[in-house]
Amino acid sequence: MRIPILKLHDTLLISIQWELDDQTALQFQEDLLHKIHETSARGVVIDLTSIDFIDSFIAKVLGDVISMSELMGAKVMITGIQPAVAITLIELGIRLEDVLTALDLEKGLEKLQRELED
Amino acid sequence: MRKLIFNYVQTHKGEILNDWIEQMRQQADERTFTAMSPQMFTKTSSEFIELLISNFTETEREFQAKLTGFAEKIVKFGWPLNVVTLGLQTFRQIVSDGMRKDGLVDRDNFMEFVTEFDHWMFPLNDAIIASYTNTWERTVSLQKIALQELSAPLIPVFEKISVMPLIGTIDTERAKLIMENLLNGVVTHRSEVVLIDITGVPVVDTMVAHHIIQAADAVRLVGAKCMLVGIRPEIAQTIVTLGINLDQIVTTSTLKKGIEEALEMTERKIIEVEEKR
Repeated sequence: MRIPILKLHDTLLISIQWELDDQTALQFQEDLLHKIHETSARGVVIDLTSIDFIDSFIAKVLGDVISMSELMGAKVMITGIQPAVAITLIELGIRLEDVLTALDLEKGLEKLQRELED
Repeated sequence: MRKLIFNYVQTHKGEILNDWIEQMRQQADERTFTAMSPQMFTKTSSEFIELLISNFTETEREFQAKLTGFAEKIVKFGWPLNVVTLGLQTFRQIVSDGMRKDGLVDRDNFMEFVTEFDHWMFPLNDAIIASYTNTWERTVSLQKIALQELSAPLIPVFEKISVMPLIGTIDTERAKLIMENLLNGVVTHRSEVVLIDITGVPVVDTMVAHHIIQAADAVRLVGAKCMLVGIRPEIAQTIVTLGINLDQIVTTSTLKKGIEEALEMTERKIIEVEEKR
């Protein structure tokens, strides 16, 4: 099953609703990059509110997707990371240093908009 | 034989009790009993002897309930375990001496007496020790929980701003708890800035700093900012001497300054009201 990518003005909106398996994660990476290319989006928001568990592979793919999107000129905002997921990421040493984060989708969109205006 | 022992104990209850108290006073450690008033001691002692006797008369379950109650009581009084076992031995000594003196036990039936008596005393001994240690363990675990509750509180002080004051040394276990409380608190209070106040942390070594950096990183991931406040001169010195890099975390010397800065981050400030009432 593919993860739907929605377009909202010049940002892309992705809400991950279920635990990803490796295949879906890679498919998602591919899809997102193509979509950025197609729409020349300037921002990407990935919402992880419903994810409460993450493994090292998915975390790595996520980190890669972020760097790749940035390379293509889209700012990435991750929203709604759950405490347990944050702890896992830190313990795995994945610090996602340059990524923007926000508590929820609403705040994330707001922050991203402000970031894009500068 | 069992009946014989039981009858003896039942009829000589008073004497046994007196002897027991007498001997216990001599043998046991001074400070064990100084904490208790003499009346209290006598009362508890007679309860103890009653308990031993009730093992004969009552059903298993009643005895167990009584035993647990008694164990809780003596743990509360602070009787050490060795006094309890000493008490059992003394009781045994007194009964066997008394019965020998009365001629109830002689050379012929001595073996039978010892076997029977052991049959009675061993399970009793086990039961008392088990229930004592259970009570003790429960007390310890309750205290541990209480300590944990005090360990890492997150206080929402303003809308979007929370403070976590830390007091005392931070070890790995506590750091984990701090991280969990911090993240869960940030999510539930919807804070945008969290201040970790380390005024009460005596030493910040590389490990503590590492934990703080990790916590700050995790806070950033859930979408808030982390500040480290209450850095005392000594702490600043150690941090720099150890070569710890806290570049990515905003730090201030006092909580007051930290709050001001946090308000600034969330586009607010404290103003003085001019008019006086």
